[in-house]
Amino acid sequence: MTAVTSGTTTLDAARGTQNASPERGRAKRRREAGAGFAFLSPWLVGFVVLTAFPMVASLYLAFTDYDLFRPPSWVGLENFTKLFEDPRFWTSAKVTAIYVLVGTPIKLAAALLVAMVLNMKHRGQGAYRSIFYAPSLIGASVSIAIVWKAMFIDDGIVDRIQQLFGLPAGGWVGDPSKTMPMFVLLAVWTFGAPMVIFLAGLKQIPAELYEAASVDGAGPVRKFWRITIPMLSPVLFFNLLLETIGAFQVFGSAFIISGGTGGPADSTLFYTLYLYIKGFAQFDMGYASAMAWVLVVVVGVITAILFKTSNAWVHYSGDNR
Amino acid sequence: MRITRKAAGAAAAAVAVALTLTACGGGADPAEPGSAEKVSTDEDITISLAWWGEPARAEMYEKAVDLFEEEHPNITVQTQFQDWDAYWTARATEAAGGALPDVIQMDLSYLRQYGATGQLLDLSGQVGVNLDTEGVDDSLLGSGQIDGAQYGVPTSTNTLALFYNADVLKKIGVEPLAEGYTWDDLNAWMEEVSKAGAGEDPVIYSGADYTGTFWFFLQWLIQQGVDPFTEDGQLNFDEAQMTEWLDKGQELRDAGAFFPIKQAKQLEPLGGFHVNQSASEASWDNFLAGYVAESGEDIQMLPMPSGDNGPQQFWKPSMLLSASAQTEQPEASAALIDFLINEPEVGKIFGTSKGVPAVQAQIDAMNVEKGSVDEQVVQYEEQVADVVTESAPVPVEGFGEIEAEFKRLGEELQYGNVTVDEFVTQWFSFADGAVEQS
Amino acid sequence: MSAHITTPPLSNQAAATGIATGGGSSRPAGPIDTSLRKAARRRKGVRSVGFHAFMVICTIVVLYPAAWMLMSSFKPSNEIIGNISLWSDNLSLSNFATALSGIGGVGFWTFFGNSMILAVASVVGVVLSSTVAAYAFARIDFPGRGIFFAIMIGTLLLPFHVVIIPQYIMFNELGMVNTFIPLLAPKFLAGEAFFVFLMVQFMRNLPRELDEAARIDGAGHARIFGSIMLPLMRPAIITSSIFAFIWSWNDFLGPLLYLKKPDLYPLPIALRLYVDQTSVSDYGAQMAMAVLALLPVMLFFILFQRYIVDGVATQGLKG
Repeated sequence: MTAVTSGTTTLDAARGTQNASPERGRAKRRREAGAGFAFLSPWLVGFVVLTAFPMVASLYLAFTDYDLFRPPSWVGLENFTKLFEDPRFWTSAKVTAIYVLVGTPIKLAAALLVAMVLNMKHRGQGAYRSIFYAPSLIGASVSIAIVWKAMFIDDGIVDRIQQLFGLPAGGWVGDPSKTMPMFVLLAVWTFGAPMVIFLAGLKQIPAELYEAASVDGAGPVRKFWRITIPMLSPVLFFNLLLETIGAFQVFGSAFIISGGTGGPADSTLFYTLYLYIKGFAQFDMGYASAMAWVLVVVVGVITAILFKTSNAWVHYSGDNR
Repeated sequence: MRITRKAAGAAAAAVAVALTLTACGGGADPAEPGSAEKVSTDEDITISLAWWGEPARAEMYEKAVDLFEEEHPNITVQTQFQDWDAYWTARATEAAGGALPDVIQMDLSYLRQYGATGQLLDLSGQVGVNLDTEGVDDSLLGSGQIDGAQYGVPTSTNTLALFYNADVLKKIGVEPLAEGYTWDDLNAWMEEVSKAGAGEDPVIYSGADYTGTFWFFLQWLIQQGVDPFTEDGQLNFDEAQMTEWLDKGQELRDAGAFFPIKQAKQLEPLGGFHVNQSASEASWDNFLAGYVAESGEDIQMLPMPSGDNGPQQFWKPSMLLSASAQTEQPEASAALIDFLINEPEVGKIFGTSKGVPAVQAQIDAMNVEKGSVDEQVVQYEEQVADVVTESAPVPVEGFGEIEAEFKRLGEELQYGNVTVDEFVTQWFSFADGAVEQS
Repeated sequence: MSAHITTPPLSNQAAATGIATGGGSSRPAGPIDTSLRKAARRRKGVRSVGFHAFMVICTIVVLYPAAWMLMSSFKPSNEIIGNISLWSDNLSLSNFATALSGIGGVGFWTFFGNSMILAVASVVGVVLSSTVAAYAFARIDFPGRGIFFAIMIGTLLLPFHVVIIPQYIMFNELGMVNTFIPLLAPKFLAGEAFFVFLMVQFMRNLPRELDEAARIDGAGHARIFGSIMLPLMRPAIITSSIFAFIWSWNDFLGPLLYLKKPDLYPLPIALRLYVDQTSVSDYGAQMAMAVLALLPVMLFFILFQRYIVDGVATQGLKG
């Protein structure tokens, strides 16, 4: 996780204060530090009181045999060695990796595209925004299991469409090779959250930039790459990072749709779902905690890499250069 | 994260202490029968009660609790309810925190998990004082005991049944099975049904692949004269027996006579039998209400197939009531359990929604309507009472896990992803880890 | 990086016209030749028709599952699962009657009220705490900032299922079970890094010149935060409010663990009771209650989405 700081250390460096007198500088720095901790205090209190203990506890439990009913007993690295020999662990890792790699880019692209369309000046945009956000609301409902499956069963709407295009008929729900596309489509369908964030970010871009570019004769593609993407980059980075982390931890829809099993035939056994099964259905919270911390390391590395690359492509209007 | 090593060590120690304090250690010695005090009648007492189930059950419990509070004006019952999945997540978390509700609805498959780990109160001490178990059949009562300690009292019974859809059978022109049929007869009949139903639109199948259900395997083992689990909570069957069982379905699996797993997955949480595309299904007898509600057709029941020694079945407690080991009100908790299992009015309120009541007085009090689902279930249990010669296996710790793994592998088998041999090997290696803890 | 972005000096007049007001407000027409204007209008009309045609198609695709869900809530329970058509001859309001009749003596409106209290309080808590914390990260230079920031991001990485047991033990020992505190405390103490990080990203993208100008005028951080940052953060604050509301509204696991009295249950717990795998399930009533539960969040979004995009005046402050 240490590498994550790299993103902000540059932020610190960029902020390098050029003070005239050292004394005034020191006083100022003290004042700044005081203000910093004052503003940070709710978060600090929250972290120490609410978050730190459970996090440390789960880290400790990762090295124990803990069934929830008896006191945990220290087993060293046993959970980790068991984990790497567990074929279902690898299944869950594979299922999740595919979901992250395929689902996240499509979802983000869809969200950005729709946000840009919704940012155009037309009548009725408020209605369209609400309509396009609706799936995200339904996607979080417990009824999504029945609703989503109904789209993909034999002769359901998706089957009809694929028959229309001369594709082989058949529902996707019971076919282990097609349940992943079904989940990816669900992720894409519920693009509302990143879309709204993109929209808010697009609104932050000064319209004069586009006007000036038009005057210079830039076309829409050029404007997109030269203005939209750089100006949107902090938000793009946020969405990319958070959607990636979110995809690694996808749970709710996976749990509801497969009835908590990860079936059929383990084709939707997402990482966090398997972790949950281990912890709460098989009462092996030590193992589940170990899984969680393996995920922390993997996602932490990815996060660190994203932060590192962000120095090259994320542009903050408010940071001094 | 730059936390110093010392601080991290101290934090870890604190965590360990906190978790150890709250989780209470192994099972205590069985309580002396009848050693408890009589429940107080003047002190103000509040106890909590938790159950899983649908809104209709909540109505029933609330009514029953109102009656209890009328009878014990000094006791207030704080109720709570969740659906099955949520219920067990909440209870597991509470158990970890040493904060289970005073009285909890318990399922047989979790009894040892909670009982043998010291989470549940041994009710033996309350028996004869605040809790009357006279009306409960001994073998049934025994299913709530572990090592002599009474961790749960069954409220009602279930037994397995083979349901068939008489309307569907009429449509495809196949006679229902005659009573006294064997497992081989069942297979032959299923083959006949699937042939007769193949031309229908939608295709009528014989039934789901019964070999993938753990309880049916246990039922079959019992008919083989094998007690599935030992007294001390270990497995008492071997790989050869499981292979023999799974092989029973192989021919029908190969022939595609079972309801296809692909379609079953599309219908989940329902099954082919619910939507009248499957002629039969084996299950617990209290599932009748659900089948009738979904299918809307004429659903009939038969006992399970006979084994070599004739038809042998067992009563499974469909639901037990347990008290928390941490309860500060063991007397009042026992009194509530007593009221719920014995009070005739309670029997009237619940009907057969939890299964047929364990105590005759409650059965007698029920207003069983002619031709109702209640009547059909009660009649079925009266009818099979003669062949219920065995007591239900007391599940091992980790029963829920090995049952779920059996189901999962059963699906893999139907998808053709594993062979019977792979199924058996994988299941046993899983069960070794899951059951070994106890 | 920003070298190729041309930032023209901006006249006050341009800022005052408020360019991105959205919703199709027409701009004051200049003295243009009428025939040109007509052509422009025609072109605009064609583009507008194309746009709406495209959007309507997208709407149908996106809303088909929603329509199916809505129709299902009017169908009898045994016509829902495995049913592919939108229509049924047996549509009725009985599912809604069941859903509105409550569960176990607790009325639907009690569940609804609890959900509302939790959601509104979450919005207040999230907005207050995460803007403050984000200001510290984005605008104040203090020692250890990088480390704290990394820790905050780190809290996002741990799957929450492994922290719920220790967290439950903690709140149980503190006697806070059966209160809303365990659910709301993280909101008021910036416990959700998602929102803090979101605010940080938006704040860092606000031009620095503003606070520097204010500082020269002698304003402290409190003033800069209150009178400059907060108004400019409106899109991010509205966005966060929407998410905070919706996520609280849909939260299931938190209430399940900390609320053990039916009078305290929010809607998601009540919703699930209709489908219990061990007893007779009422899919129709669940659908109906799910639809009813969606209405307030939908309404909340419809009411507030306009503020994400309307009247943001940041353009005028750039440059």
